[in-house]
Amino acid sequence: MKSFAVMRNVLRRIVRDVRTLALIVILPLFFVLLYGSSFSGSYRDLTIVIVNEDNGLASVRTAEVGRVTLSVNLAQAFVAALDPAMFDIVTSDDPENAAASVDESGIWAALVFPRSFSNAVVNEAVRASGERRLDFEGDTVTLLPSDPVDGPRTTLVLDDGNPLIAGAIRAAFEAAFSQVLATQQSSLTVEGLLDVRALHEGNIRMLDFTAPGIIGFAMTLITVMLTAMSVVRERTSGTLTRILIAPISAWEVTVGYTLAFSLIAIFQAAELFLASTLLFDIRFIGSPGVVALLILLFAIGLQGIATLISTIAKNEAQAMQFILFLLIPSIMVSGVFWPLETMPATIRPLSYVSPLTYANAGLRKVMLAGRGIGDVRFELAVLGVFALVMLLLSVLSMRRQAYTA
Amino acid sequence: MAAEQVVLATGLRKRFGRRTALDGLDLSVTQGQLYGLAGPNGAGKTTLIRTLCGLLRPDEGEAYLLGWRMPSARVRSQLGYMPQDYAVYDDLSVLQNLEFFGGLYELRRAQVRKRANELLDLVQLADRRSQRVGTLSGGMRRRVSLAISLLHKPRLAFLDEPTAGVDPKLRRSSWDYFNGLAEQDVTLVVTTHLVEEALRCHVVGFLNAGRLLTQGTPDEILAETSTSNLDDAFIVLQDRGEAAQ
Repeated sequence: MKSFAVMRNVLRRIVRDVRTLALIVILPLFFVLLYGSSFSGSYRDLTIVIVNEDNGLASVRTAEVGRVTLSVNLAQAFVAALDPAMFDIVTSDDPENAAASVDESGIWAALVFPRSFSNAVVNEAVRASGERRLDFEGDTVTLLPSDPVDGPRTTLVLDDGNPLIAGAIRAAFEAAFSQVLATQQSSLTVEGLLDVRALHEGNIRMLDFTAPGIIGFAMTLITVMLTAMSVVRERTSGTLTRILIAPISAWEVTVGYTLAFSLIAIFQAAELFLASTLLFDIRFIGSPGVVALLILLFAIGLQGIATLISTIAKNEAQAMQFILFLLIPSIMVSGVFWPLETMPATIRPLSYVSPLTYANAGLRKVMLAGRGIGDVRFELAVLGVFALVMLLLSVLSMRRQAYTA
Repeated sequence: MAAEQVVLATGLRKRFGRRTALDGLDLSVTQGQLYGLAGPNGAGKTTLIRTLCGLLRPDEGEAYLLGWRMPSARVRSQLGYMPQDYAVYDDLSVLQNLEFFGGLYELRRAQVRKRANELLDLVQLADRRSQRVGTLSGGMRRRVSLAISLLHKPRLAFLDEPTAGVDPKLRRSSWDYFNGLAEQDVTLVVTTHLVEEALRCHVVGFLNAGRLLTQGTPDEILAETSTSNLDDAFIVLQDRGEAAQ
């Protein structure tokens, strides 16, 4: 059957192309390893601040001996019930400062226990259950319900900029509170116990949260693919040779390419932002100018990557495989879906070298939190260095192409 | 280096893996010469041209073009190069191709138009100037490529099989044009497989296995090989080359 001859011919040609063959074998394994490693990381090392003003005492009425004071230390019990691997707990004695520190320096939440926390929980539990018997200093006493305890409530200030993390923190706190409340046979709910103040008032949906990263990734894919394919085609068709033999420097050729594809990238980014805000009402409360600057630096750097890929790739098919090999992992490690803090330490170095990490962080700050240029100067600086280094490398690689074209 | 030596190569050696493409090759071409590079497939003609132009770095030896050691950016504006593949933009029109490459040689739009008229007349594509190159036949694309190579009036041009796939009538007029250029002191190095083309060169160099076996006027080559036509002479030279390997 002639189909088998065609099949054999296709396979033979692939087997003879060592790079393609290597990619065919390595690529799936690489993806699975990376996917498994980055997804399997549970939430770890989330920094929270706890202000524990609870005096640990509960004053309750008894039928036998009048009012007694019990030492229950419920706030302390709550802290002990938290998973130490999940949280990095910073203690503070300044409630206002603690609340203000959330969303800065990677602090996800601040929990302030008032002085009367233990007292309020115990009395609430007694009131809910009616009379309750308790061993007190060798005697059994009957606890009597008393009036509700007035005073400040427990407050939780939560950075809900990342709905996943915010959800995980709430779930962990609820579990710890339930454990503490269970010791007091309390019927209190977490909602009844806590005043939660979410920084973004719960307005950031998962869609908003992932949009900057997805837009950045779409840009990465399109820009790198367009540039790499274009350079490879120039080389294989011989036009690059003609260009490089003309009186034009590799620097001028590279800048020409960069200008052309930067314009295209900016246009694409505008299209992506417009479509996502108009069609899906993506949150975008920051300055379009700052976003454009982030995108421009990111795009220039991406073109450098594309030119480097085109130097290595013999043809367009190989260029495509290199692009997949380099870019698909970037969405897994760049904090698009889950923050870097949740990734295993072995994967994190990849996050730090992925430019999408910084583009995503910068775009998120501007789009979701409405931050200004001063707040994204770190991201702008990293992307600026990335753009410059990549531009220089692509000039060198363009020179090299003159000798390999 | 004598002033009239436009191309001077000494001891050029180039290997690709275990294969030796140029094997210690010496070459000298003087100004206004129409130099034909002949030789069987795989003799090293294209490698030689690419090495001379600075597109490949030789493993050993050195090459000078117009007095400059290659690779040098200084000769680029005076150098014409027509590669073996078409090396044209299929998605642009004939004129747009010429305009783009003319721009790289800092020709003004009006200059490009004027030169384009001359060259498109030569390659008989004047009526196709607005047509997209991708819709032209292979032979026509080669002619566009030739026009691009000569657009900026180079002092020295390397043409790698410029008339391959071109019909006999046009081939003849192209060679008339090459001879005319040589009379204007333009130096041309042209690779060819065809004996009748080699006959029209001032000097022919015969390459085999990366070595220049002989060079001279067609008459000198006939005398050296004791043959009566270049066809036989090339066969004798090729046999000689194979025997020497």
